[in-house]
Amino acid sequence: MARETSRFIDSIIKTLSSIRTGIVLLIIVVIASAAGTFILQRPLTDPDKLAKVYSPQTLAWLDRLGLTDVFHAWWFILLLALLSVTIVLASLERFPMAWRSFARPYLRPEPHFLSGLPLQQEIPIRHAATAIEAAERAFRQQRLKVQRVGRNGDTSLYAERQRIAHLAAYVVHVSLLLILIGGMVDALWGYRGFVGMTKNEQVNQIEMRDGKTRPMGFTLRCDGAGQENYPDGTPRRYWSTLAVLENGREVQRETIEVNKPLVYRGLRFFQSSYGPTGEIGSVRLLASSKADPSIRKEIELQPGVPVALDADTSVNLAGFIPDFVISGNQIASRSNELNNPAVQLSVVSKDAGESRVWLFPKFPDFPHPDNAPYAFQVRELEMGYFTGLQVSYEPGQWAVWAGVILMGVGLWMAFYLVHTRFWAVPVNDGRGRQVLWVGATASKNRDELESRFHKLVAAIEQELSVPVEMKEEEEEDSVPVA
Amino acid sequence: MASARADRLAEQTRPQAGRKTGNLMLALVALAAVFLLFMGFLGALKKGDLLSEQNMLYVAVVFYGAAAALYIGYGVTGTNRYLRFALFGIWLGFIANTLAVGHRWWDAGRPPFSNIYEMLLSFVWTLAALTLYVERRYAVKIIGTVTMPLAVIGVLLMQLLPAAVRPLVPALQSTWLHIHVTLAMLAYAACAVSFALAMMFLIQDRVKTETFLLSTSAMLTAIYVGVASRFDPSGGLQVVAWNAESHQEIFIAEKTRLMVVIPSLGWLFFVVLAAVLAPLALVLWAKWNKDERGATWANRAFFLSTLLQGLALVAFVMRARQGVYASPQLEGLFATHLSASPFILAGLVSGLFASLLYLMLFWRRSDLQRMLPTSNVLDRLTYKTIGIAFPLLTLMIASGAYWANQTWGSYWSWDPKETWALITWLVYAGYLHMRIARGWRGRRAAYFAILGFAIVLFTFFGVTYLLPGLHAYA
Repeated sequence: MARETSRFIDSIIKTLSSIRTGIVLLIIVVIASAAGTFILQRPLTDPDKLAKVYSPQTLAWLDRLGLTDVFHAWWFILLLALLSVTIVLASLERFPMAWRSFARPYLRPEPHFLSGLPLQQEIPIRHAATAIEAAERAFRQQRLKVQRVGRNGDTSLYAERQRIAHLAAYVVHVSLLLILIGGMVDALWGYRGFVGMTKNEQVNQIEMRDGKTRPMGFTLRCDGAGQENYPDGTPRRYWSTLAVLENGREVQRETIEVNKPLVYRGLRFFQSSYGPTGEIGSVRLLASSKADPSIRKEIELQPGVPVALDADTSVNLAGFIPDFVISGNQIASRSNELNNPAVQLSVVSKDAGESRVWLFPKFPDFPHPDNAPYAFQVRELEMGYFTGLQVSYEPGQWAVWAGVILMGVGLWMAFYLVHTRFWAVPVNDGRGRQVLWVGATASKNRDELESRFHKLVAAIEQELSVPVEMKEEEEEDSVPVA
Repeated sequence: MASARADRLAEQTRPQAGRKTGNLMLALVALAAVFLLFMGFLGALKKGDLLSEQNMLYVAVVFYGAAAALYIGYGVTGTNRYLRFALFGIWLGFIANTLAVGHRWWDAGRPPFSNIYEMLLSFVWTLAALTLYVERRYAVKIIGTVTMPLAVIGVLLMQLLPAAVRPLVPALQSTWLHIHVTLAMLAYAACAVSFALAMMFLIQDRVKTETFLLSTSAMLTAIYVGVASRFDPSGGLQVVAWNAESHQEIFIAEKTRLMVVIPSLGWLFFVVLAAVLAPLALVLWAKWNKDERGATWANRAFFLSTLLQGLALVAFVMRARQGVYASPQLEGLFATHLSASPFILAGLVSGLFASLLYLMLFWRRSDLQRMLPTSNVLDRLTYKTIGIAFPLLTLMIASGAYWANQTWGSYWSWDPKETWALITWLVYAGYLHMRIARGWRGRRAAYFAILGFAIVLFTFFGVTYLLPGLHAYA
């Protein structure tokens, strides 16, 4: 029974680690992802539109199969997890082989290996020791780090480059796993939300997508926000100045822009929207006394702050409508834009009591009888603006970035590093002659190896043809220079 | 512009004229190029904007077009001298193209990558650069036969897109944008080259000419079924109306465009659809009956359909370029413009080029095979270009993710463009695994490379127009 279980597990592992399984999983992931871009997806599309595009029956089925939210469906996550397992198992299975060729270089080739090598050449020599020396010089001249293998009389040469290339595929696979792990951490523990603030407002919780709120653990205050436009009216820049408060004390203050978030305790705040609140921010008025037109006064009003005009009279904001319209008998606003603003003032004076005054900056001559002691003219009107901040918490992103960098390294290794090996062994060619056998292999890119190999052989032949005595003289000559 | 193209196309569809003397075609191409340049020069003098980006692009497209014509001329006649002149044409076009890119960069004060117009500009430039590189480094003499028509299509598409330098919306004001888009252009251009190499491999690998006929016809059928789906019951062709002042489509409701009907054009496209279906049907019939004559007739029908396609293109360009037509939705007459139908135009032009490439293969296969590197070399080159494209794709996705993370607070949001970039990446990853771990070589690998490029095309064009998402401005 136990043996059968283990055989069963073995066969599962074998299936999962096969490249065929990997490719099949890859194809399924591709098809599922493509489906996810053609079928309207749940969180992004509003339910009305979904109901319009699909019949209720289709929609019910799509929902049941998770096809309206493919990328968060349990089976899609399972697919990704299976793919990760396949990558791990396949890598584990093949790793020992790659490690062996990495960790134990094949220094001294056996005769059967020699005879099977596609790239090899035999150079006739007279004396093994001098030939090795000449070959060593040739290797160095070709910028190969050469090492001597074996002892006197039985010495051969070995040189290699970029042995690390054998590990490239594993680097790529590890990086892929890092990215997947980071993504999963974020899917499980990360969150995204929204904070909307007006100037001077303080906020200490985030509105989540599902309508719930979540405490931030600190307080955020908006000290200012704004928008700048290009001459043609398209927006050029949005900004907000934010301050972080811990127990009422300011610990960080920053102006954020669209591509420049504020980061505090792993929470990142992104400028995402900016617009009018539909409320008044401030209004500058020219007030002139009805009794004595020479008495004129400029005042600035903000909501909730009464301003005294003289000892007996004070004025306060009572109401504001950004886009005034009368529909039926009701006063309403058509939009949040300043198309036809209307400001209502409450003027309180000792003699006349409270009177309400409507002002229409677009139509200053519009008659509006009232018994306030002053007449008002709107000089400047500013609406209240809110700044919308996207908030995100992604603890796994560091694994993702590490994975991305590692993948860059791994792919560079995989495509641009080639493990090349060169050997030079003095042997008998079977007819009693001494020859220097030279051979080379490369893990890929044979063309380039071939030209390198021929250069090396030419260099060895050159070195061999130079008489030893002359060579030594030359070397003596070169000593003072060095 | 359009009539110039028509001239050249007419020239290409009369290949037999050049078969007798090699000089006739050279002279014709040179004459056409000089004539076009002279006309453009006169126009520019009149406007007084000789060194504008538009004019440089015009020069570039004239030279690219001349090169494409010479390549196709070579394909038909096998005159070696054409290749030298074609290469010269690419160089001249490339210089003009570089000036155009530089001009725009200077004008905008930032690298030209912020909208689809600028991306096409950079793509065409990269394509020409890669063509010159591959031709020099690997001596693939006729790679331009595939890439130059692509470059011409790219520049023509650009003429239809709004070209004004527009200020960047805040989300796009990032260095990462330039890095991201540069990588995308390089990666996609490398994919295009690998596609061209894979096609050449298939030619060298003795894939039957009939198979090429079959797949070309199938592609053409798909294109013309797409165009003919705009058939109006009155016999006309429905195209989108165009507001000439604002350079925009006219919307009558949310996501509903105003359409106009060009009379009797619908019938013409039905005829062309029938004409491109004919060779398909004939080949299949011949296969079914094992009849030799079927293939001969299919090729004759194909030649006829190519002529008809040229006619349809000219008719479409003449009638859709200007003019006011009635609309089925609203009372009154409305204008249209080529810019309103980029897909139809791109489909017609690419269909015609594909047909010409097939005819070239059909008439001159043995010459082509002599000129091309061996199938082994092509196979390895395809793999090598994908070996360049894949890391570029990876970096492109990574830089895009980093940028999105800085702008929207999330490095991956499964937006359609992102998802399709990932799909492209996975397909090429599949190619590499099959090749390295399972030893896929030759034909299967070539088909895989072609599939990869088809997906790149969909990611680049299809997603932009069909599946809008976060990349809406691209």
